[in-house]
Order: sequence, then structure tokens, then C-alpha cells
Amino acid sequence: MKTTLFTALAAATALGCLPAIAEDLITSDRVGPSDAPNKMVFRMTGDGPSSTDPTWAAGYTKLYTDFINNHPGWQLELQMMTGDISQEQARMLEQAKAGHAPDCAAVDSFVLPLFKAAGVLKSLSPYFSKEEIAELFPFVRDGVTGKDGQIYAWWWSTDLRVLYRNTEIVPDAPETWADAKAAALASVKAGMEGMLFNGSRYEGTTFDWLGNFWGQGGKLVDEAGKPVFADAANRDKFVKAVDYYRDLVESGAAPKRVATIGNYDDFNAAATAGSTALFVGGNWQYRQLQNAMEPEEFAKWSFSMLPGITADQRSTGTGGWTVAAFSSDPKKVEMCAALTREVYMGPANALQEQLPTRADLYDKYDVFKSEANQTFAKALKVGEARPGVLVYPEISNQIQIMMGKVLTGAESTEAAVDEAFKASLDAYARL
Amino acid sequence: MSASAARRKPSILGASGRQNRLPSPYPWLMPVILVMGLFYLYPVIDVFRYAFTDLTLLGGEGHYTLSTFGNVLRRPELAQILWVTFVFTAGSVIGQQVIGLAIALVVVRAEKRRLFGTTILRTTALVAWVVPGIAGGIIWKMLFNEAPFGGLNSLLRLMGMAPVQWLSDPDIAMWSVVLSNIWRGTAFSMVVMYAALKAIDPTLYEAAEMDGATARQKLAFVTLPQLRPAILVNMILITIQTLNTFDAIIALSGGGPGRATEVLSLYTFNVVFRNYDLAAGSVLSILMLAISLGLALVYAAFLPKEDRS
Repeated sequence: MKTTLFTALAAATALGCLPAIAEDLITSDRVGPSDAPNKMVFRMTGDGPSSTDPTWAAGYTKLYTDFINNHPGWQLELQMMTGDISQEQARMLEQAKAGHAPDCAAVDSFVLPLFKAAGVLKSLSPYFSKEEIAELFPFVRDGVTGKDGQIYAWWWSTDLRVLYRNTEIVPDAPETWADAKAAALASVKAGMEGMLFNGSRYEGTTFDWLGNFWGQGGKLVDEAGKPVFADAANRDKFVKAVDYYRDLVESGAAPKRVATIGNYDDFNAAATAGSTALFVGGNWQYRQLQNAMEPEEFAKWSFSMLPGITADQRSTGTGGWTVAAFSSDPKKVEMCAALTREVYMGPANALQEQLPTRADLYDKYDVFKSEANQTFAKALKVGEARPGVLVYPEISNQIQIMMGKVLTGAESTEAAVDEAFKASLDAYARL
Repeated sequence: MSASAARRKPSILGASGRQNRLPSPYPWLMPVILVMGLFYLYPVIDVFRYAFTDLTLLGGEGHYTLSTFGNVLRRPELAQILWVTFVFTAGSVIGQQVIGLAIALVVVRAEKRRLFGTTILRTTALVAWVVPGIAGGIIWKMLFNEAPFGGLNSLLRLMGMAPVQWLSDPDIAMWSVVLSNIWRGTAFSMVVMYAALKAIDPTLYEAAEMDGATARQKLAFVTLPQLRPAILVNMILITIQTLNTFDAIIALSGGGPGRATEVLSLYTFNVVFRNYDLAAGSVLSILMLAISLGLALVYAAFLPKEDRS
């Protein structure tokens, strides 16, 4: 009888424990056991277990599981950002100023200066060695370093813009704007809709296009952060770069609908549907195209550096994501740094083939030895990051407005550029 | 019972010998005052306070100044923004009112004839209303997509018609945005008009029929005059709602191309969240409030006196 009672009690105890054992370690909004005594709130992009790409979601699930197993007693509360990054980041900045920011969050590299200037970030310097910081690309290191020499975020991935082409229709990589126009017109003759690029009210519109201006040696802002993109030294270069896009539309080399495109997924859709043979996209789209296309279709696609006004005047925009800590609890800041190190600084780069920001990681992971990633890495050498100044978001906003007016023919290029410049100077004066 | 009669009532009761007084209104008014004050009045007061500063979202204490008003109201793009807002609001309000009334008339007529499907028709119209603005914007963006595989243009091609530049032509883009907003807001007008139609005294129609009125005459001389208060109240509501609309536009066109579809609410959002200018955004919010109040007062002036009371 005693044995029976003992067995029943043991079974009941085991059954009682079962929910805890069977509890999912990763849910849509939590990583780790729900009753863990320590909790860190992490606001993130799609670069995590909830990624829309099943391969990446599975990879991140494993990385996060390993991470939380390495840190018993902790749980992560995951907060997902929407796709409207500018709005999300502005809202997070306001929350941080009010003291309601998440403990740790993904911060887009181009708005990082705003967070640094607001003084809402905690130093991550104690958690990364001097050697690791020294390995960062210079533009990355400058971007995360504050005036006091401390680093206030870890910039873990970078990206760049390239010109994708269907080699069956455009066999040779266009090197100049004239080449690109000729290739786009040839693709139109072949029944395609021409060259696609972002042209609507969207950050990508500015950023994807800026390489055309930078390639000529143009400067957006001066040393003090004041807009100079249409002053005496830069206006001609700026107007030429805008006219390049305008000419593509007016000549029929690009469809008028580019003025409505504000999403890189539109290019993937058009490439997969076979309606375009040329588009300006991000390096991450190479893997996306590979996942979306049949192998024989994907084999037709290649990419090259963005064309320039001449073949030796070329540049491209480089961006990327950082992870930063907001918490005033040192334990959570340390946890944020650990998450960055163990999940994002290397493993996530390899998983998503997101270009690392440290030269040594290109040798560490085999995926970056592929021909495609080696080409991307070479293109990074002519890459330029957006200026880390407070007025940049408004400069970008004005360029987006200007581009809409120019691409639809609503205004002359000169008038639209001058309006954008004046509005940017006004914004600079207000800030 | 009139207010004066209500005030006299305690003295009548007092005739019984007790010195009765009106109960204090504060205990039952306080919850309303607290909720309104905390969640409505305080933010409004704060917006007015911010408007007299140079505050940004980027930190810093900010200083009190009168110059923000002048700087914002002198911005060269403001005239275009107000014009776009006027076209968007007028187009949306007229469209929602007319189509909402038309659907309500059809539903009421169908109910009178006991036709099958009236509930389905009402429910179908309401579906658009419950769709969140962002989702509505995305749905219409897919329909207006000008790619060869875009929704509406594919249909036009099937019918042998030329594709339309729904969102890339600045002149057409405005009407595309208005169309999507009419689709979304018509259901609300339909519900208001439907309720008002049901409340019309049927004897008025019987009298009109006795006088030999045609259907058109009944609409013009019975239905519309009877609906006047409902139409005006509905116009106040949908005008304010439309003036505040920005979620559907941000998802559909982002305010572009250029500033072709950038209404005042979206401009205010952009000024605060892209330009980080909290003070200027507050001034623009006050401008929106003034426009909404002004239009509401104009509409209210046309209300019959008994309805206003």
C-alpha cells in the first residue's frame, strides 16, 4: 500500500512538474523561463526568432536557446518593432528621454547620433576588449564612440547598395550612368519595365541614391554638421546625380512607378515575377533572391557596384544595425552586452550573411569567403556611411520630397534641390 | 421638465417641513472631471505649453518663446499642405456622405420590400470600417500597385484598358487616397443615415403619397429635410475624423510623391517624428484643433435650434 501511495505521489509530483519542463523556452515575446527572477526587455527588429524567413527563424531560435541556457535565472522579454523604422526609432528616443525605454534595443546606425546626443545610452566599453573595438571598421568605430571615448552601442552588421541584374538580359555590369541607362533601355526593349529603385517617401530613397552624389566627391554636411549639399562646391554634383534618376524616368529607362516604391521587397517581387532585369538593392537581398527563386532562375542573377558618373567615380551607402543599452541597472547592461556578443557579434552575421563590421570575422566564417560576399566586402571599401549629425533625418526627408517632385516632373531639378537645401538649413538652425 | 422647474422642486418638497437643499453636483461630476482633465484636458494644455517653447525630441531643456508660432505659420510648404488637406477632407466627406446615404437608402428600401441579403449588405459595408487604417492603406497600396502584377491595373489590362498611374501621378494620387478613405469611412455614414432614416415618421411618406409625390420628390421634400440634423452631425464627425487621418495615408503613399498627398495631420507627424520638432508639431496641432472647431461651429450653425439644444 505504501509503495502504491508513494508511486501515486511521485507520479502526481512528476505531472505537476511537467508543465514547467514542457514550457517553451522561446515564445513570440519571451526567451527563457517565465518564472526566471531576472528579466531584460529587448526591443528588436526581425533579426531574431520571429524572423519571417524560416531558415533564419530556426537559426535564431537555436542561438537564443543557447544564449539563455548560458545565463540561468534570466528571461528576455522581446518587443518587436514595426517596419516603419524611422517612426519606431523616434518613438523609442522619446521613451528613453522619459525614462521608459527598453533595457536593451536595436538602434539603426543612422539615428544612433541622436540617441548619443540625448545622453540616454549606457556605455558598453567595459564589456568589449580594446582589441575587439580596434577590429571595427573605422566608420563603424567612429559611429559608436561618444565624445568621451566610450562606446555607446555595438554596431554588429553593415550593408551596402549594389546594382542587381539579370545577366540573361544585361550580361555586362554597367559601370557608368550612361551604361546603366543603355542597359535599362535594352531591358525595356526585351519586355521588362526598366530599372527599379526606391523613389517614394522612404529613407531608402535617399540612402540608395546618395552613392551617386558621394561618388563625385559630394558632401552632405560640413565638419560642424551644417548642410552643404547644395552650396557652391556641391550643388552641381547634387543636381547631376538627381538628373541621372530624372533622366532614367523621362527616357523610359525606369518606370514612373519608381516614385511610389518604398520597400526593397518590391524589387524581390519584380525580379521573381520576371518583370525587371535591373534594380538598386541591398546586399542582403542576394540571399533573399536565392531563397525565393528556383536555382536555375537565381543563376541568371548577379550584382555589381553602383554605376558612377564615370567608372572611377563610384560609391555606395553603408548602413547597418547596432545594439544599445538603456537600462540604469548594470546587470541588465551587462546582459545586453552579452546578448550582443553571443548572438549578434558574429553568429547572426553568419546566419543571415549580414556583413560583419570587423575585418577578422570575414576570415572566421566560411560564408563570407563566398565570391558574392567577397565582392560585397570589396565594395565596402568605397562605401560611405550617412553623416552622424542631428540634422541628417531632416536632410533625408527633404531629399525624399525633392525626389518625388523631380521623378514626377512636378518641378525642375534645380528648384526642387534649392527648396530641399533651404528647408535643411532651416532645420539645422532650429536644432 | 425644464431646468427652472427642476430648481423649484426642492422648495415644494421643503413644504413638508424639512429645509431641503439641492445635492452637491461634485460627487457625481468629479469622476468625469478627473478623467476628462487627466486624459483630455491635460494633454491639450501641454500641447499649448509646448507651442510656446522651442522644445525638440532631442533633449535639452527648451525655452519659452513666441517665435515658434510665427516660424511655423510662415513655412512656405504650409499653404500646399493646407490645400491638400482641404481637397482630401472635402472629397472624403462629400464622398462618404453621399455614398453612405445611398447605401442606407438602398438598405431601408430593401428591408421594406423584405429582400434577401440586407443584413449581408450592411455587414459587408461595415467590414471596411473595422479594418485598421494602416491595414486599409496596405490593402489599397496592393490594389494601386503600378507594377505589371498590380491589382487594379491588371484588371484594366484584362479589359483592354490602359493602366493608370494611381500613385505616381501627383494629380491622380490625391484622388486615389481620397478613394481609399471613402471606402474606409462610408460605413460609418451609412450607419448614421440608416438610423436617421428609420426614425422618419412613416406618416410623412403616406401624406406625400396622398399628395401624389414621386419618389424623387419624396426624397427631396421629405427624406432630406428630415435627415438634415443627422447629415450635419455626421458631417461634423467625419470632418474631424478625416482631418485627423494619417495612418492610412502613411501606409498608402507616405504623403508622396513629393508632398502631393501630405495632409496636415501627416505633416504634423513628420515634423515631430522625422524632424524631431516638438514645439512646431504642437503649433500645427493647435492649428488642426482650430480648423476642426471652426468647421464644427459652421456646421452647428445650420442645425435646427431644437437639435442644437
